[in-house]
Amino acid sequence: MTTPSAPCPRCDSPLEQDDLRCPICSQATPVGAQPDRKDATVEVLRCDGCGSAVSYSEKARAPKCAFCGSVLRLETTSDPMEQTEHFLPFTVTRDQATGAYRGWLRGLGFFRPSDLASAARLESLKALWWVGWVFQADALVSWAADSDHGARRAAWAPHAGQLEMPFRDILVPATRGLSEPETAQLTNSYRLDTARTEPLGDGETIVEQFDLRRSAARRQVSEAMGRLAEQRVKDGHIPGSRFRNFAAAILLRRLVTLRYAFPAYVIAYRYRGRLFRTVISGQDPTRILGHAPYSGWKIVGTIGGILLALALIVGLLALLG
Amino acid sequence: MSATEQRVRASCRSCGAEILFESLQRTARCPYCDSPSVVDRPETPDRPDPVFGLGFAVTHEEATRRMRRWIRGRKMGPFGLKDRAAEKVKGIYLPTYLYSATAYTTYAASIAEHYKGDDRERKTEYRDLDGRHATYVADILVTASRGIPNDEIEGIEPFDLGALVRYTPALVSGWIAEEPSRTQEECRDLARQEATAHVAELLRGFLPGDGVRGLRHQTVLEDESVDLTLAPVWVFAIRYDDEKPPIRVLVNGQTGKVFGKVPLSWAKVGLIAAGILTLIGLARLLVWLLR
Repeated sequence: MTTPSAPCPRCDSPLEQDDLRCPICSQATPVGAQPDRKDATVEVLRCDGCGSAVSYSEKARAPKCAFCGSVLRLETTSDPMEQTEHFLPFTVTRDQATGAYRGWLRGLGFFRPSDLASAARLESLKALWWVGWVFQADALVSWAADSDHGARRAAWAPHAGQLEMPFRDILVPATRGLSEPETAQLTNSYRLDTARTEPLGDGETIVEQFDLRRSAARRQVSEAMGRLAEQRVKDGHIPGSRFRNFAAAILLRRLVTLRYAFPAYVIAYRYRGRLFRTVISGQDPTRILGHAPYSGWKIVGTIGGILLALALIVGLLALLG
Repeated sequence: MSATEQRVRASCRSCGAEILFESLQRTARCPYCDSPSVVDRPETPDRPDPVFGLGFAVTHEEATRRMRRWIRGRKMGPFGLKDRAAEKVKGIYLPTYLYSATAYTTYAASIAEHYKGDDRERKTEYRDLDGRHATYVADILVTASRGIPNDEIEGIEPFDLGALVRYTPALVSGWIAEEPSRTQEECRDLARQEATAHVAELLRGFLPGDGVRGLRHQTVLEDESVDLTLAPVWVFAIRYDDEKPPIRVLVNGQTGKVFGKVPLSWAKVGLIAAGILTLIGLARLLVWLLR
């Protein structure tokens, strides 16, 4: 993990220590104070190993000693793999998770098999930390779109606007293990103020790793922010009910991105030979999402009953008419 | 060591022989022991210290191969051009300024909205739209060298700025590295023009509707930054006629993209025109004979 340095002077976003330019606005990161030179100085670069002069080699893509082959490292923006900085603790025990799963099975409704809760066999219950980014930012969003509001002869009229849009504690999942609907269900169940810097588990807890480099992570966060901004503008700022040609330009400031690991239980259960999965938040047992079978007989019976009722009504009306 | 104007005389640190750094050169090789040296002059407003650099990744052989292939594709170039070897080949770290800023724009335009008229023909209704747009403009690279004009740099762009490195003398050691010969204000103006043109391009993609006409916009650039950046370029000089100046062909030292201005061969144009006229004449003759 790299240590954050001073924020960017242009957009006020925190910089990583090895950033050469701000990843948000491209402002060059400040370098330390340089000595004030009065005279020109001439330098011959020498190899630390053998003392020979060093030249830049286009084949090695680095300064290289022609005699001993030593290569000098140049300072560039590094692109390390993302590493988790904050772990949210489990506040739901395994027993509580199992209880929540049983309750969820019972409460799935009429169209599920009647024996689902009793016949479902718990295959495994795994505790895991899934990973994601939480970001905060202030943004100036400029947007333009066509909408049906104010339309005259054509079906569309152009509209545009600009607004300040704060983003606070927005979670962007980076997990490969959980699906998008699963993470969406879990997202608001976590208390970020409980974060710790180390995972505290029972030793059997799986810790997912980020499998993205920093540059790809930044792209993913930016794309998520773009989608969220578009949704917010469409929901409350464009007049009308139908839109097209939506475009937005986002000027970001103070973007802070933190890498979190979120606790969850993944339950696998078997019902009549088929395997299903359920995910429960590790901090709120009511946040649960999973797959469950439907009862074909109940669905067919209900449709048949409705059709029969309709046929009876039609028949009755025919007799009365 | 003496520093008269910007010319620097220094002793070679390897053999003690005298080396002369010309006023626009940052690097030199000792004529006796071939040791590469890099000079570090006191900073001035128009000659700041380089901030970034991009390393060469294309070798001399690869650059020559690409230049030859490019020359072969210039079918209307002067006779003999393809057979001429490059008279001079140089791998140069070219001084450029990397510009970025925040662009605040106000715009107004007529937006076209199509609809089907009563006669089922497509018609267009124009609606006025004005608004504001804000964005960061970044990665604008403009030449700081009087020797290579900006359109030639644009010809070999883009450079992969993801591979940017912090400038260090080790980056240019053993290569020709030029000092800026244009003033910073001149380069800033050039960059502002590019930034404004870039915003106009963005606006065209940003505005809604089925078309746009009469787009007017005013862009204010704030929080500007310009950073002297050394860009790797292979420069070829090819002389195809002793009476004429050589043709300059640039090869991007990082990506291998080629650009040059090859003059049109009027002799070839004349031959092609004569050939076409002859064909037309023959066709007419054939038609006349067949009647």
